[in-house]
Amino acid sequence: MSTMTKRIRARRTEVHNAEAMSHSGPALKTFGYLAMVITLLVVAVPLFWVVVTSFKQRPDIFTQPAEWWPKHPTTDGYHNAVFGIPFGSYLRNSLIITGVLSATKIVLGVLSAYALSLLRFPGRNLVFIVVIAALMVPNQITVISNYALVSQLGWRNTFQGIIIPLAGVAFGTFLMRNQFLSIPTEIIEAARLDGAGPLKLLWRVALPMSWPTLVAFSIITIVNEWNEYLWPFLMSDDSRTGTLPVGLTLLQTTDGITNWGPVMAATVLAMLPVLIVFLVLQRHMIKGLTAGAVKG
Amino acid sequence: MTTASLDPTGAVEASTAPPGADPETKRRARREGWKRRLPLMPAFVFVIIMTQLPFLATIFISFSNWTAFSGNKGFAGLDNFKTVFQDSDARSAVVTTIELTLLVVLISLVLGIVIALLLDRTFRGRGIVRTMMIAPFLIVPEAAALVWKHALFNVQSGLINGSITQFYNWFGLKNPPQPDWITSHPLGTIVTALVWQWTPFMMLIMLAGLQGRPMDIIEAAQVDGANTWQIFTKMTLPHMRRYIELAGLLGAIYIVQNFEYVYTITSGGQNTANLPYYIQQTFFAGTGEYGVASAAGVVVVIGTIVIATFALRTVLTVLKEES
Repeated sequence: MSTMTKRIRARRTEVHNAEAMSHSGPALKTFGYLAMVITLLVVAVPLFWVVVTSFKQRPDIFTQPAEWWPKHPTTDGYHNAVFGIPFGSYLRNSLIITGVLSATKIVLGVLSAYALSLLRFPGRNLVFIVVIAALMVPNQITVISNYALVSQLGWRNTFQGIIIPLAGVAFGTFLMRNQFLSIPTEIIEAARLDGAGPLKLLWRVALPMSWPTLVAFSIITIVNEWNEYLWPFLMSDDSRTGTLPVGLTLLQTTDGITNWGPVMAATVLAMLPVLIVFLVLQRHMIKGLTAGAVKG
Repeated sequence: MTTASLDPTGAVEASTAPPGADPETKRRARREGWKRRLPLMPAFVFVIIMTQLPFLATIFISFSNWTAFSGNKGFAGLDNFKTVFQDSDARSAVVTTIELTLLVVLISLVLGIVIALLLDRTFRGRGIVRTMMIAPFLIVPEAAALVWKHALFNVQSGLINGSITQFYNWFGLKNPPQPDWITSHPLGTIVTALVWQWTPFMMLIMLAGLQGRPMDIIEAAQVDGANTWQIFTKMTLPHMRRYIELAGLLGAIYIVQNFEYVYTITSGGQNTANLPYYIQQTFFAGTGEYGVASAAGVVVVIGTIVIATFALRTVLTVLKEES
């Protein structure tokens, strides 16, 4: 990176911080931090509880008063979670299904959002409304017709049976379309005058200006696919294609009573991959030089 | 639908032909334009098919007599819709869904904006705090609902009542109150748990929005002596409007469809059955009436559009008047 761009970026961060910090007389600043600490506590306590419980022995889980730290820490929960069910297979299935579905959805979402925002064709807004309406149909409903169709094709217990019906992407289309519409028209026009075709316009102009939204879209998509329960549950009879959330419920009902330790342990394990994805992606949520590509 | 999301003015009206060219050149330019758009079309068509097929099938089924046992798929006219509206369970499910969605969306949206504003500043440990804040969204909803029901709200062993006891002990007080949260505030417990899981979603979209603010203009305003509050209400908020609408609408769509929390925490008892729960009961647990369940689904869709539009308009009008 050239020193020039570095300097611009530094200046921008500075301004950004100045704007953020100038919220703050000392009183406001304290209030801000206090608010953050309280919110953090509220958010963190249930999480903390999940993690602590996953390390407790069964008799210690429901005691009064609540036990904030395991007296007899154990990794039995994790042992049970990993070896009590075919954890490896569920993990593999989750990785395959989430990977393929997320990649497909992100590509399809971006392309159709682009078509709906920056390309002109007759009935464009009507198409958009129809896509959004589809987003609102509850899963519990579309499952009926999807199930009938997929089992007729003999696709139960197959990856394509799980993946293809979920691949329609209304959410991302909506999110990215709004993002693309917020790009100043001057920029798009300038690129067009310079002879950029639709794909080049998308790849070189529209996308680089939309990173934060694209990253938010990617995170939400990956998390939703990873946690998707109803459809994989209906499509899979066993660990051939079952995903982690499906395996999790299996763990819960192995012996009638809820198996808290292993369930919490599996919850923690199931959360780790998406947590890593978030850690990798969140850095890209900071918009770099593209912010303010148009000078007023 | 919201005004901004349907506003076509953002579209670029420039054609590929230079202005003032003769009709023949224009036509050729247009043909050329279509050829260049073509690579985008398969993806687009696929998305339309994949999102529309189940939707159309649902509308179709909602007008049919199809049940799990009859196999008779004759045309039912509006009978299924009549059933939905005459069934008191269905009506109460509609009301519950509206309450639940409005409460969760509004609360988590406000919290999401506040937290996003706090997290948008730079400070030590921002990455960690951000990650903590997003974590509830990453947890499998079934597991999260279980945790809230058994580990937090439980009368005897729940963390909330446990903390109250501990607190009383610290101050030497006797007889700490031990409310049965789920029985006394069934909807409140569901709302609390949902807000906990969905605030990060709102925060994420708000953060994306904050990153897209035109900082150079804000800088200029600062130089001109605008104070923080003015910058927030006159510049940040109007810029965020689009994102607020978006997050509100998308959140509403997901929360209207929420099933796990209602199913796990109250099993639909005490008037907490929302429409997805009602649909699930009608379809899977009950008589397997596909037609009625689908009709209820269609009602959900129309309801969501109406609620989301109305609620967002109201909130945003208030915001606009203030600024």
